[in-house]
Amino acid sequence: MSSAVVVRSLVNRNVASAVVRKSFRPLALQVRHAHQDTAYVPGGPIYKGTVNDPTTFPPPNRSHGSYHWAFERLLSASLIPMTAAAYVTSGTNYPVLDGILGMSLIVHSHIGFDSIVVDYLHKRKFPVLGPITSWTLRAVTVAALVGVYQFNTNDIGLTELIAKVWHA
Amino acid sequence: MQSLIARSAFVRSQAARVPVVRTFASSAARFQATPAEKPVLQKEFKIYRWNPDQPAEKPTLQSYTIDLNQCGPMILDALIKIKNEIDPTLTFRRSCREGICGSCAMNINGQNTLACLCRIERDSGKDSKIYPLPHMYIVKDLVPDLTLFYKQYKSIEPYLKNDNPPQGREFLQSQEDRRKLDGMYECILCACCSTSCPSYWWNQDVYLGPATLMAAYRWIADSRDTYKAERKEKLQNEMSLYRCHTIFNCARTCPKGLNPAQAIAKLKLELAAE
Repeated sequence: MSSAVVVRSLVNRNVASAVVRKSFRPLALQVRHAHQDTAYVPGGPIYKGTVNDPTTFPPPNRSHGSYHWAFERLLSASLIPMTAAAYVTSGTNYPVLDGILGMSLIVHSHIGFDSIVVDYLHKRKFPVLGPITSWTLRAVTVAALVGVYQFNTNDIGLTELIAKVWHA
Repeated sequence: MQSLIARSAFVRSQAARVPVVRTFASSAARFQATPAEKPVLQKEFKIYRWNPDQPAEKPTLQSYTIDLNQCGPMILDALIKIKNEIDPTLTFRRSCREGICGSCAMNINGQNTLACLCRIERDSGKDSKIYPLPHMYIVKDLVPDLTLFYKQYKSIEPYLKNDNPPQGREFLQSQEDRRKLDGMYECILCACCSTSCPSYWWNQDVYLGPATLMAAYRWIADSRDTYKAERKEKLQNEMSLYRCHTIFNCARTCPKGLNPAQAIAKLKLELAAE
């Protein structure tokens, strides 16, 4: 996906520079200068293509689009009854519910944090920091999942812990 | 009735005999009266200034004080008065002065709106701050660069696409179908909503922004358009549509009272439901 975008932007840049070259043929020096000036910067003042070209769309991918959105909404909505259920029952009696609740909370947080990373540290603007952050997030999510699994199977479990802390 | 006719005949015969000077004045001195002097109501306007000819100089707020009683009621009137009488270098876009062209969109007292639809607060103690649309590249003073905004609008193909137009007659549309476009077709593309959206501030090179998304949904909702699937497919990515986090600044700021957030919500629902 990213390589396709890079290729496209390279093509655009070549087309743009060809146009520039045609109009400024006698002044080769200026052309090189103009070419350097018009390098596309994500979110910067230099636009892709000419002012009359429409912007382009990333390649369509439903798992990044509507499926992701629908999953995230359904998960958020189902967390409400799950939390209520965990409140009335106890984790020892319904360990599966406790496990699902713990997992859903972590996935929900992962989607939320991932959204923050995409918003503020996207790799098109932060080619180093962006991937580092998103991989750190993935590692933390996996670690949390393992931790919740261990805690729920070997110890009192999430719901009981919260109940205990609440009464402590 | 008869007496009326008789009286008018009497008046006419009298007028014919004695030439009377007709006048609206109820008293002799009326024509000498001077108009009541309005009190001076000074108001300070602090306006963002940046000149591309001096790119090294940082943008500043320049202060202008005008008499509100010698000025029209809207912010645009004040801007025009300042430009005419105080500082001709002040630069802003304006055209229709009645809220239909969208040229004079700017940030007035912290809210994106059209200067021609925004009343001047008649409180001389408080200044009015006028900035260009936030988080846009500035051409000069209050003029933002809307090139990307228009490029994005072009990318959603904002025109009717139908391979089988009806032959020899107009497109027919039921009243219900037509009603679906109400609240969307009125958009004048002033960019107030898009530039009020934090998501658009951070990711405007990839996120389309509320104005363009509402325009996209305007054509998806149109019963006469047959390219709905293609239009929707384009938005199926992480960036173009789904950077909307339902912040609702767009609906709050729209100077035309439209609701881009609702259009985006419907768009998301339609994409999820198909």
